[in-house]
Amino acid sequence: MTLRTYVIRRLILIIPTFFLISIIIFVLIHLAPGDPVTLMIGPRPVPWDVREQIRKELGLDQPIHVQYLIWVGRLLQGNLGYSYLSNRPVIDMIGEKISRTLELMLAANLLSVTIAIILGVIAAVKHYSISDALSSLGALIGYSTPNFWTALMAIMVFSAWLGWLPPGGVQTLGITFASPFHALFDHLTYLVLPTLILVLGWTAYLFRMVRASMLEVLGQDYITTARAKGLKERVVIYKHALRNALLPVVTYVGYSIGFLFSGAAVIESIFAWPGLGEFMVEVAQSRDYPTLMGLSMMIAIMVLLANLCADIAYAIVDPRIRYD
Amino acid sequence: MTSRLSAESEEKPEEVYKPSRATRVFMVWRKLKKSKLAVVGFGTVLLVSVVALLAPIIAPYDPEWRGYTSRPPSMEHWLGTDAMGRDMFSLVIYGARISLYVGLGAVLIEVLIALGIGMIAGYFGGKIDEVLMRITDVVLTLPTLMLLILAVSMFEVRGIHIITMVMGLLGWPFMARVVRSEFLSLRESTYVEAARSMGATSWRIIVRHILPNILSTIIVLATMDIPWYIFYEATLTFLGFGDPFSFSWGVLLKKGYLYLQTAWWMITFPGLALFFTSLGFNLFGDGLRDALDVTERGR
Repeated sequence: MTLRTYVIRRLILIIPTFFLISIIIFVLIHLAPGDPVTLMIGPRPVPWDVREQIRKELGLDQPIHVQYLIWVGRLLQGNLGYSYLSNRPVIDMIGEKISRTLELMLAANLLSVTIAIILGVIAAVKHYSISDALSSLGALIGYSTPNFWTALMAIMVFSAWLGWLPPGGVQTLGITFASPFHALFDHLTYLVLPTLILVLGWTAYLFRMVRASMLEVLGQDYITTARAKGLKERVVIYKHALRNALLPVVTYVGYSIGFLFSGAAVIESIFAWPGLGEFMVEVAQSRDYPTLMGLSMMIAIMVLLANLCADIAYAIVDPRIRYD
Repeated sequence: MTSRLSAESEEKPEEVYKPSRATRVFMVWRKLKKSKLAVVGFGTVLLVSVVALLAPIIAPYDPEWRGYTSRPPSMEHWLGTDAMGRDMFSLVIYGARISLYVGLGAVLIEVLIALGIGMIAGYFGGKIDEVLMRITDVVLTLPTLMLLILAVSMFEVRGIHIITMVMGLLGWPFMARVVRSEFLSLRESTYVEAARSMGATSWRIIVRHILPNILSTIIVLATMDIPWYIFYEATLTFLGFGDPFSFSWGVLLKKGYLYLQTAWWMITFPGLALFFTSLGFNLFGDGLRDALDVTERGR
């Protein structure tokens, strides 16, 4: 199979996957027993005919499969629906939030990939050394810590006690900045804590990946050959070993979008970071059910595309994969 | 004639040493013991379980007991009191019950579903396999927390049982993949072929010949999934999608969060409890993997 047919096949596969995801999201939301309208209205006294009106507007008076078909039909036309609370198109609301999430993810991903590769290579090359043991233990602690708790502790120590960094938000309010640089610097102080918390957890995973992958490669014959040829150890490690060891890591970075999103939802809410994760929590709490469905679909599609890119990138750097 | 007979009797195979179940458990323990970290993990898991089981005996106060509010740790209240005047130490102890219940309950559901789907896909293969694995892959790539929030948000009452169930219902994909790939490779193995040639039914092959061989893999994966479920429950609860009336560590953290500036003990100790429980399960799982000699396939 050539690269082109591989990419085309993957692209075609997106179609059934899209429908599958839409079914999963639809079913999950309709999993709960009871009446969504009652839930959305809450305990307020609302007359029966108004409830019926809402039900009709949301299409909830239709049988469930018709509801699904209407929803998917709109999705295919690029219509993610309208918020029940604000009546605004969901896609507009996502547009306002998406850049914040991407910013956080980019910062977290860049940092953790760099740290994980450096530490992972050191740990693998100096297998069974003190630095290996220490970084492995650090990784173990890193992924045994609930990240929302780390976030709380960080806010307590760095914001409440020391007052070094702001506890949440994206920009200091009520101040006029002397220059755009001051504004940028001010914004960066808000970025530090959420990024570091995400990095803490994500680096732990990546580190274990890099270390394991590097160890595997270092044990292979061609590395022995390279050493036997008298190549410098640095060349062996960086040119021969690391390049191959990083192959699986490439895929993981692509898959990380989904993982980071899960982490980001909590971290964003805690730090009042106005991104998609915080939005999701907010929408789910207010049970704004059309927005919740549209937003999850959007996130799912983003994850899907990121995975697709990762797979294609993997196929380009590692031709063997296409013959699977 | 006689000589041939005697030769045959001499070639009678030596009796194969087949250890009893207790011996096998002991052998695993002996291997596990070699790793200090694994023993620490096992000890932590044991400690948390004992604390959870004996909570009413160990806890110095009833979880509903009220005293002075927001007191820092002291001799009377080792971990201080919360904003409602309840003893934090007792609350954290009772929290272990919820966490273990959530972790074990969700893992049980996960194992049942993963076994079912993995078995069907791996044993029968073909179209069924393709469809099941496509579903598995999709669920696997979607962010777990998003799925959990989606599933839980529209419930009117979010009890701890519902959360546990939903987590188990959504947590199976990875394990199902592993079970399937184990089935795929074992299905082709010689002893399964031998069993089939002797006329064993599919059911008998699955239950008697394949399942026992993937048991250790499942045990290891299940052990390492328990801390995840505990995390997810705490996270959901913290975000406001949990059971606000349980004594879960997530509830304690959610309430302590409001007093972050003045009462450090309210968020520190429930979080530490979460951390040590999860660390314990992770270390224990790592040790079990080495002791049971499980290599991770499936990805």
